[in-house]
Amino acid sequence: MHPNLSFEQAPPISVPYRFFLVAPWFGVIAGLLLAWSGGEVLASRWTPESLALVHLIAVGFMLQAMSGALFQFIPVAVGGNVWRPLWISNVVQPLLILGALLLVAGFYLSAPVLLAAAVPALLLGVGIFVSVVLLALWRTPATGMTLWTMRIAVVGLVVTVLLGSLLVEAMSRGLALPIIELTNVHLAWGLGGWALMLVAAVSYFVVPMFQLTNPYPLWFARWFGPLLLAMLLLWSVLWFCDDLRPAQLIGAPLALLCGAFATMTLRLQYTRRRKINDATSLNFRVAMIALLVFAISGAAMAIDPGLADDPRAAVWLGMLAFPGVFVSTISGMMYKITPFLNWLHLQRLGAPISAVPNMKKMIPGDSMTAQFRLHVLAVLLLPAAVWLPSLAEVAGLVFSVSCAWLAWNLTLAMNSYRRFRDQIRASALRC
Amino acid sequence: MIIVIDGRDLQPPEPMERTVEALDRLGADDEILLLLYCQPHPLFNVLRNNGYAWTDNLLPDGTREIHIRRQPG
Repeated sequence: MHPNLSFEQAPPISVPYRFFLVAPWFGVIAGLLLAWSGGEVLASRWTPESLALVHLIAVGFMLQAMSGALFQFIPVAVGGNVWRPLWISNVVQPLLILGALLLVAGFYLSAPVLLAAAVPALLLGVGIFVSVVLLALWRTPATGMTLWTMRIAVVGLVVTVLLGSLLVEAMSRGLALPIIELTNVHLAWGLGGWALMLVAAVSYFVVPMFQLTNPYPLWFARWFGPLLLAMLLLWSVLWFCDDLRPAQLIGAPLALLCGAFATMTLRLQYTRRRKINDATSLNFRVAMIALLVFAISGAAMAIDPGLADDPRAAVWLGMLAFPGVFVSTISGMMYKITPFLNWLHLQRLGAPISAVPNMKKMIPGDSMTAQFRLHVLAVLLLPAAVWLPSLAEVAGLVFSVSCAWLAWNLTLAMNSYRRFRDQIRASALRC
Repeated sequence: MIIVIDGRDLQPPEPMERTVEALDRLGADDEILLLLYCQPHPLFNVLRNNGYAWTDNLLPDGTREIHIRRQPG
């Protein structure tokens, strides 16, 4: 064994963990808010409660989890070094939490002053985060489509946040801007340019590695990100033309491109070399099925705009995308990242590899499976509640409990790290 | 001697565990051939920090052939 091997200088384990442990609590609040508010708030994407719900998931849950994952993923997957990760996370995380809470409170209470206060916190937090992350992504000597797709995703985050800030300014100051068009573009960049782009970048690396599938075909990895970016750019420009029909029409191939990613990932899972049905694989499968349903629904609405006349159609898409695609993907990823992080950091203590416990001992498998089942129930109930509002209370409660359980499982992972770390240190003292 | 580790059907961190164990048995003229579907940057850092050299070739099927040797001198 190699007890004296020097392991890499990954960011301190507390950096990704602090983001992962906070993220699910935004989901808990979102679920409770829906249960409290009732099904009528899902009648349109413009109700104060709907706007609060979507930002609890997007800026609360997703941005926290994805930021934490990037701090760890950049050194491990593309060999980049994020500058002073502990210091940066100490500054960025409070700003993101504050910005998310102000934004959500501003939407829920229809209080422009709170919305306006959220903007500087989010701009500063995201600005600092993006600066160090882009620097790391540009300075790494690594190559490949994971790296390039991650770069595009981070730029997508910048566009999303800038457009969101502009929308808040327009609403709080009453600026004469095309709010609906800007909102559509903001949403598309958030979902496609940032979130799905990052999921694709990470998937190229982790799906073959952790789910033991074949790699994504090179042609697919080369074209998916750039094509999605090009279509988003075109779609964004077309929304501001006098004739909206071309913008609506390009929505169909854009949605089908998202569906192509889901189909490819499901195909890789179906043809994988070893059938492993752990919580990560199952969460990814649910996410990709939700993405496929989202893509088919989105394409149908683009081809026949009459289908989107019902204001609940947009909420349906949101329920598929936010809890269905992204909460599922993130939960699955966190169930793999946290045990791997524990393993990697326990190695750095200098213990022989045989002394470091197996990754499967970091979170009880039964607990992950049970939480996954509850999450699936939430993913089924939430879109159904759009059309059957009487289901909203139970859907919100199930989602809330599922997110709390996720937080509990991640806390177990952190406690496992501490316990094994103390055991290794104690045995080192005895030697 | 060439020690072949096919990590393509193994879940992390098993390929890294096996490689680090194999480093123990690696003589001056020996080589580890590690097969993966990704670039293992944490392993590269271990190799860099501990006096090992490696080359990394991408094959058409997406397999990465990583050849590891002791650093000369």
